[in-house]
Amino acid sequence: MRRYLLASISLLVVVTLLAACGPAGEKEADCSDADVFCVGLVTDVGKIDDKSFNQSTWEGVKQAEKELGAIVQYVETTDSKDYGKNIAQFGDAGFDVIVTVGFGLGEATLEAGPKYPDVKFIGVDQFQGDVVPNVVGLIFPEDQSGFLAGALAALMSESGQIGAVLGTDAVPPVWRFGEGYRAGAEYVRPDIEVSVVYHNDVGFDKTFTDPEWGKTTALSMIDKGVDVIFGAGGKTGNGALMGCAEKGVMAIGVDTDQYYTVPEAQAVLLTSAMKLLTPGTFDLIKMAKEGNFPAGGNYLGEAGLAPYHDLEDKVPADVDAKIQEIDAALKAGSLETGVSPVKPE
Amino acid sequence: MSTSAEKPAPGTTPKIKSAVNAVLVPLLAVFTAMVLGALIIMSAGGEPVAAYRGLIEGAFGSAQALSETTVWGTPYIFAGLAVALAFKGGLFNIGAEGQLALGAVAAAWVGYALPDALGVTLPPVIHVPLAVGAGMLAGAIWGAIPGWLKAHTGGHEVINTIMMNYIALNLTSFLLNGPMKDPAPLNVVARTPRIAEGARIPPIFAGLRFHWGFILALVVAGIVWWVLQKTTLGFEIRTAGANPDAARYAGVNVPRTIVMTMMLSGLLAGLAGATEVTALNYRHELGFSVGYGFDAIAIALLGKTHPLGVVLASLLWAAMRNGATRMQFLTQIPVDVISVIQALILLFVAADAIIRWIYRIRAEEERLVLTRGWGG
Amino acid sequence: MGNLDWRRLGFIALIILILIGVVIMVGGDKVAPSVIVISMVATTISVATPLTLGALCGVYCERAGVVNIGIEGMMLMSAFFGWFAAIYLNTILGVSAMPSLTLGVVAAVLTGGLLGLLHAVLSVTYKVDQIIGGTVINILAIGITGFLNRQLFFEKASIFGGQVPHAPGVLPRLHIPWLANLPIASIFEQQPIAVSAIVLVLVTHFVLFYTRWGLRTRSVGEHPRAADTVGISVARMRYANVIIGGLIAGLAGAYFTLESVPSFEPLMTNGRGFIALAAMIFGNWAPFGAWASALVFGAAQALQINLQFFRDQIPSQWAFLQQSYIVGMVPYLLTMVILTGIVGKTTPPAADGVPYEK
Repeated sequence: MRRYLLASISLLVVVTLLAACGPAGEKEADCSDADVFCVGLVTDVGKIDDKSFNQSTWEGVKQAEKELGAIVQYVETTDSKDYGKNIAQFGDAGFDVIVTVGFGLGEATLEAGPKYPDVKFIGVDQFQGDVVPNVVGLIFPEDQSGFLAGALAALMSESGQIGAVLGTDAVPPVWRFGEGYRAGAEYVRPDIEVSVVYHNDVGFDKTFTDPEWGKTTALSMIDKGVDVIFGAGGKTGNGALMGCAEKGVMAIGVDTDQYYTVPEAQAVLLTSAMKLLTPGTFDLIKMAKEGNFPAGGNYLGEAGLAPYHDLEDKVPADVDAKIQEIDAALKAGSLETGVSPVKPE
Repeated sequence: MSTSAEKPAPGTTPKIKSAVNAVLVPLLAVFTAMVLGALIIMSAGGEPVAAYRGLIEGAFGSAQALSETTVWGTPYIFAGLAVALAFKGGLFNIGAEGQLALGAVAAAWVGYALPDALGVTLPPVIHVPLAVGAGMLAGAIWGAIPGWLKAHTGGHEVINTIMMNYIALNLTSFLLNGPMKDPAPLNVVARTPRIAEGARIPPIFAGLRFHWGFILALVVAGIVWWVLQKTTLGFEIRTAGANPDAARYAGVNVPRTIVMTMMLSGLLAGLAGATEVTALNYRHELGFSVGYGFDAIAIALLGKTHPLGVVLASLLWAAMRNGATRMQFLTQIPVDVISVIQALILLFVAADAIIRWIYRIRAEEERLVLTRGWGG
Repeated sequence: MGNLDWRRLGFIALIILILIGVVIMVGGDKVAPSVIVISMVATTISVATPLTLGALCGVYCERAGVVNIGIEGMMLMSAFFGWFAAIYLNTILGVSAMPSLTLGVVAAVLTGGLLGLLHAVLSVTYKVDQIIGGTVINILAIGITGFLNRQLFFEKASIFGGQVPHAPGVLPRLHIPWLANLPIASIFEQQPIAVSAIVLVLVTHFVLFYTRWGLRTRSVGEHPRAADTVGISVARMRYANVIIGGLIAGLAGAYFTLESVPSFEPLMTNGRGFIALAAMIFGNWAPFGAWASALVFGAAQALQINLQFFRDQIPSQWAFLQQSYIVGMVPYLLTMVILTGIVGKTTPPAADGVPYEK
């Protein structure tokens, strides 16, 4: 036994020597240095690559890296209990801007604001009720985006049945997308049958990362005659898009132009109900760097429909015209979606 | 697997030698797994030494780190004791996670809802034990159910406790997203309101999360040891576990003992949930499934189902989990490598023949065999 | 066909009819009942696929006398490696979609087989407690898949450059030309693994009860000592069956990432390996019984999906049906009820779980 114990210890020593000969330590940029501009991003429970929400915001941060020379880093939250801890990691390291992605991080961000008064916080999808000087909520008119999507779906549907597959409606932006979709559909075609299904039967950690459920729900809808489906809710929504692709049914994406992020669905993707996260994030970061970051409150980003891409020819001219008309009316304020900002109790 | 009697080497007593042997295999299992882990880290382009240094720093490197390690360790100790106790009784309790969750929910409810329901404010000396007691009761019931099913219908507790875990998950999700949800305006997460001041056990040091639950866990470990070794109940549990037929002949009511064992096991797990609520978080929140059930099994096995072993194994597990986030932050090695190392540890402990072969150790004690098929 | 427990199968058929009936009662006004039935059946067959395959894995292992609770881990690991192989072939090596997917399935199946081998080594040669061995496989799977998932797809230095590459899609659906325009088509236009699952049920039934090899397997699970005396190698039969079980579990894993959705999520198997075990037990360790039970669980899942679709149609006195968490408990409660033996005694193979000592 002593022989083998000796052998293992020698092995460990060798390994240690090998490791010690490697590169010495990691180069660590010092973010507390005033000349170094560091931007950190904390995701909600979910991955950085969810092909919509977290990813688009990260794209905005990466744009800052490219165009503003910022040092950027992200932390993925795996447990909602870690929100505060994850924000603190950046705060303590002297980061200049911290982007917290998602409604779920709202409370933790507001708690962190006063703790790190020199840090600029960008709270994506976090509506600021009161003004905290270094926290800005980046919000979007998802209901308008959804309204347009619903109107388009209703106009394009041949069966008179359309559907939506979304994450949990406890998250206000998701609620607004879903109800905006319903309102828009009923606005252009009062006798349309709209089935809006939210994934409230699982926890917060799973509701946006359940493509299997998204696909199965979409397929089930298609069996019942639905011929346009709006998939909204991270990977869950993406699953719905893929189900549509399999059955050759029209689909509408969300958050970003999903024609590029879910290429499997290109053949059926009518459009996407977008909220322009990337430019919104980048603009705010740029403002922070240049010293004209808003002093708290909300910053309204842009929303709209993505181009029709492959289905350009399928959309009749009068339908497109109607959509443009509704879009203009919404932006001008002459048309209201009538969607409540959050789900009523 | 032969148990060869060995003449004690001159100068060592049999007791010391067997004590050393008892910890030797687990220690070597951990060591071997860490070496393999180092190889995995290297293959992923990382430096094992820097990674492990980060791990140790994250686990023990500061008062904060140590405190966090004990915070992780407390539920592990309770759950590990729960599983170890069940093992002693010849039962496989995979339901620690569900029992823990319901214990937490019960404690939380007593903590925030009971005073309003009764219309009184409860002083801490009543409120705290009530909350903790509720947690223990909930866990006990949740454990007793599969125990009863096993004793009287033969339904195997492995499947039943796993099913109870999922049922508990659904139940707590329903409660924490519905009737028990925190009505605070910005809250979207499934969690209860904070429990009343009177139900909270204050922290020991300001600023550190180290809490009384940890002390309680150590005390309970001692109690479990005492019950198992020094009481009639403990004797019945161990006998029924080792050989149910012999136990029956010895006059032990085996079905009743099975139910008792699972009930106590669930009680311990429920206690884990209750202490989390009353001494640490002051509420219960639906968290990502941490896999306590399987961790507890690994801990119980690593600790050889002995309460002291369980405590040590729990601290090791907690150190690994806690240190891993620091390791990731400093070296970008994903925290999941810890899970791989832990799985390897469990593998080596379970198939200790592998360790004994590598290091040329002779087997001295009985192999732990619990599976007797699905019964029925 | 002999060896079928008609009473048990009848009970199972009844439950499925009840589940479909509930949906019809709720949604029958909004959507035609026939459409509902077709939709439920199509969904049920599809989602029951991993459960059927998992249960078959269990049947092979346990009929030979080896308890396998590591099915969950086997499915998870195979799901990951099958997917990884498909992506690697498609993205790095430039192989086109269909061959990538097919080879991905092969990779998944082989992964399952390897884990089956591990389980066999632990259980038969080292005689480790079989439940602990299964637990090891589960924890190992969670750790390895989590680790590799992050290393390969989120680290910039990895071969994929820190991005999750676009997967080559999923396995195509069967297209039956003369059925295509009928509504009933959606029941039959399933994907390859779903079809394979059904075929494997038939094959397993035949092999287990009508071949010499099946007889040997069963003898090794019921009376290993007697089998040994007659010259059957207990160890070899057990190894063979556990590995075959592993291969089948590997196919189940392939379903998740190559047939259902082209992406991998940590823990995506979500307890289905354990439900498969329950299906096996309820099916009394028989292939058709296991398949029928898997269909029940599939139907329960289809019920949930459909109740969400018909949420607004649910009458107020049945409001609890709107609570997805409550409805979600049904499969698990069902399993526990089944295990009590109230629906008929379940008899495991006599030597199930007992390591064989020569």
